[in-house]
Amino acid sequence: MTYSKTERHPVCKSSELGDNTMMKVSIDMVDVLVGRKNGKLFACDNSCPHKGASLSKGCFNGDNVVCHMHGYEYNVFTGKLENMKSWKKEDTWVEQDMEWRKSGDLILYSISEEGDTVYVSLK
Amino acid sequence: MTKGEVPNIVGLEVLKKNGVNVEKLKELITKGVGAEFTTYYYYTILRMHCTGLEGEGIKEIVEDARIEDRNHFEAMVPRLYELGGNLPRDIRKFADQAGCPDAYLPDNWESIDSILKVLLEAEQCAIRSWGEVCDMTAGKDHRTYDIAQRIMQEEIEHEAWFIELISKRPSGHFRRKFAGQSPHTGSQGSLIHL
Repeated sequence: MTYSKTERHPVCKSSELGDNTMMKVSIDMVDVLVGRKNGKLFACDNSCPHKGASLSKGCFNGDNVVCHMHGYEYNVFTGKLENMKSWKKEDTWVEQDMEWRKSGDLILYSISEEGDTVYVSLK
Repeated sequence: MTKGEVPNIVGLEVLKKNGVNVEKLKELITKGVGAEFTTYYYYTILRMHCTGLEGEGIKEIVEDARIEDRNHFEAMVPRLYELGGNLPRDIRKFADQAGCPDAYLPDNWESIDSILKVLLEAEQCAIRSWGEVCDMTAGKDHRTYDIAQRIMQEEIEHEAWFIELISKRPSGHFRRKFAGQSPHTGSQGSLIHL
């Protein structure tokens, strides 16, 4: 079934999204990260804008989701890249080229809650 | 059917029916093989700098990992094309989009431990990278999954070697019979023709 981008799609029960949790859901072959942070819902594309890793495998740092692959951080409410973590584990390592390091921002989706159901639309 | 006209590709049709986002998969694969190709290049430099008595001890192990990572590129690229993807025309763009950081020679390369840590970082990123492809294809794209999990098995062995060399934690397995043996992706598994 193909869903229109403006259609609200039920993704989970409210009880499945406890505070400070996140999970991956699929809408028409698009993986979406949904979560609740300090009582506020968020939804974004599950692919890290840097190199495409699954953000659902990451963790929170404040309002940021931290990508498990390279540690980049994105604010889940604004979508903005907040931390472009360096790969350098030692001072003697040489920093990566900026072309490799660059990243866009998160793609955000609209999310709402009605009754005991959470809805996302891919607009 | 006219010349140049591509018929329905059942190999792709079944993926779509299984819910695989083929475009996303092609992107992840291109990033993965980009990482393998750049790793082959940078491991050449790292191996060259495994000098002295200490360096001599790990030179062959670095070479084993280097050739096997090149074989990973060879094993997966045909599948990329089968899926309708392609390697970027420009090698610079190919390197820039690689899924893992370049394994640059560290400033204090005379310390073998320093080289080993860079090698370890590269293998660990590769495990995460191919893990993403495995997660996406498990139970849905059996061919890509088969290739990716074979690559991942060898990356896990590489990681174990370097951890053993750094921390003495046993890797659990012995040396390769020859450089580029690739027990999971190599000729025994018929994934590469080299």
